[in-house]
Amino acid sequence: MSKSNDDNKPISAKQFMKEFRRYEKGSITRRHFLGVTGLGTAMAVMGTAVPSLWSGKANAFGDLGDRMVFSTWPNYHNQVNIDEFTKMTGVNIQINAFGSNEEMLAKLQAGGTGWDVFVPTNYTISNYVELDLIQELDLSKLPNYDAAANNPMFAGPATVNGTVYGVPKNWGTTGFIVNTKDIKSGPKSWKDFFEVTKGAGSGHTILHDYQLTTIGAALCALGYSFNSIDAKELAEAEAVLIESKPHLFAITSDYQPGMRSGDAWMSICWNGDGTQLKNDIPEMDYVIATDGGEIWSDFYCIPTGAPHLEAAYAFINYMQDPYIQARDASVHGYAPADARAIALQPDSLGSDPILHPAADLMSGLEFGAAQTLTDPIRAEVMARFKSA
Amino acid sequence: MKELSKPNRWLTAVLLAPTTLWFLFMLILPLIVILIFSFGERAAVGGYGGGFTFEHYLNLPARLKAFQNTMTFAPIGTLLCLLVAYPLAYYLALKVDRRYKLVLLVLVIVPFWTSLLIRTYAWIYLLGGRGIPSLLELIGFEGVRLINTPGAVMIGIVYGYLPLMVFPIFVSLEKLDRSLLEASSDLGGSPFKTFMQITLPLSMPGIATGCMLVFILLMGEFLIPAFLGGGKIFFIGNALVDLFLQSRNWPFGSAISVTLVVIMLVTVSLYMRMTLRSNTGRDESLM
Repeated sequence: MSKSNDDNKPISAKQFMKEFRRYEKGSITRRHFLGVTGLGTAMAVMGTAVPSLWSGKANAFGDLGDRMVFSTWPNYHNQVNIDEFTKMTGVNIQINAFGSNEEMLAKLQAGGTGWDVFVPTNYTISNYVELDLIQELDLSKLPNYDAAANNPMFAGPATVNGTVYGVPKNWGTTGFIVNTKDIKSGPKSWKDFFEVTKGAGSGHTILHDYQLTTIGAALCALGYSFNSIDAKELAEAEAVLIESKPHLFAITSDYQPGMRSGDAWMSICWNGDGTQLKNDIPEMDYVIATDGGEIWSDFYCIPTGAPHLEAAYAFINYMQDPYIQARDASVHGYAPADARAIALQPDSLGSDPILHPAADLMSGLEFGAAQTLTDPIRAEVMARFKSA
Repeated sequence: MKELSKPNRWLTAVLLAPTTLWFLFMLILPLIVILIFSFGERAAVGGYGGGFTFEHYLNLPARLKAFQNTMTFAPIGTLLCLLVAYPLAYYLALKVDRRYKLVLLVLVIVPFWTSLLIRTYAWIYLLGGRGIPSLLELIGFEGVRLINTPGAVMIGIVYGYLPLMVFPIFVSLEKLDRSLLEASSDLGGSPFKTFMQITLPLSMPGIATGCMLVFILLMGEFLIPAFLGGGKIFFIGNALVDLFLQSRNWPFGSAISVTLVVIMLVTVSLYMRMTLRSNTGRDESLM
């Protein structure tokens, strides 16, 4: 499918992203966007072709109802896929974007979310299982999911006590983004990151509104584990954060607007957002810190009591189709864990050093640990830092 | 006084029932729940874990800065709103041509048709580096930083709450008996004196209502500081969002809520007493 796309080359990836940004910002209409990028034609073709490509037939969807709720992260899906799913099944998707796993957990703990599919990160799944907030997946309803094609390093965390609770969405790293036009010293580590924050970059750094990455960055800068829950180490990390607070531009997980407007010069950053930024502003450099950081994978999961269960399975199955995965990644950049999808990606994404870093760069990275999600000290350190 | 006849009493009960139920389930019960939570422990994974402790009330100083921010931004914001709203309301009520009055009033309401969230997002771009600061650069003011400053939060507050202040003042000025103004000038009062001794006192009920509306809502504000303060300027509202949605420390969040409710009750009742006293004998219909 993507092969024939490559042959025709209706629009370059760069051009596509540019048009997509314009569409996102509302400078051009949806109709213009679909027309100029060729997606309109593609969609029309796909609309007739895809149902037959499905493992089932179009009417095999049965009655899925007319809506479902999908809770995910910002800048993390391709609207074309969502629209196409709605068109094929009649299921309208309401999307909620979250800033942190804590926020997702808080909503689920409070109950009555009405969510059908959500996208938790690796380290939270065992917590959800323990709290009985997540359902075992019936893999027979997900024929598009191919366990063998998925990298076990990324797919593994969704299996708890031998039970599968999620199928992989994407994986990535947490490092930082630097606008080299403004910061010329080339910070390489979290230690450098906080030094630049207090020095040449004062007033222009963004930290996430997310305890895992923000506290993790400060811990790494001190030479501790990204996942530490040691009270003494966390106290030191809190001091680093509070000392840097007057020098921050903002504390937010929505850091793209600040980086794009030029107000912020440096931010904790997930690698796919790093690619999105670099595509538009070449001076942006994504750095995997030499003193540590996070490697993560996200999953499609179904919460306990999902009101539209069949629609949820149909949606996850649709999103597991390698072609759909590749099309999803063409917008947000994050690498799929599924080898079938990577094979369909254009070379620029499939071999991008930000999305697929060399093994030695990743050796210092840690997967988030389950206990960080519920640790009361980490939660309070973050809250005190924000209210300081 | 004649006692209510039986069917009448019955009717009264039926008519009052919805309000009573609403009060009970939407106000009293939640408040009781919050009060109970505030003495509990945080469960191991977050949320409410039962128990009885004063720990959270003793921990209140950990959010001192948030209380301070709220207690400075709310009154100053209210005052700034008043200063901006009064001339506008005055113009709308007394100066503008009748033909345009309705249109202008509608224009004041129009922003309410769009969510405050979206309008505040717009301000992020207006105040951001490519917005007003880059215009200022054109006329020679370089390196002006607006977004994520206390000033930006204040602009957002005045912008967001202005209509709530304009309307009560407009209503009280609109009712103003203009012959009083003529009488004042006939008796040799200067325009300034007339304003200070007649217009302003007669619009006090509107001012009092507007200030109270804005102040009470401001005490719970969290969206504007989060967006225009870059998450660095932390109000009590932000502390609450944080405690319920991020750190999931419901008991501590409840303790802060209870404290906030107490502060509000004290402030508002003092304020009511003050304004009621100064308004004795005047029109209090708006209060």
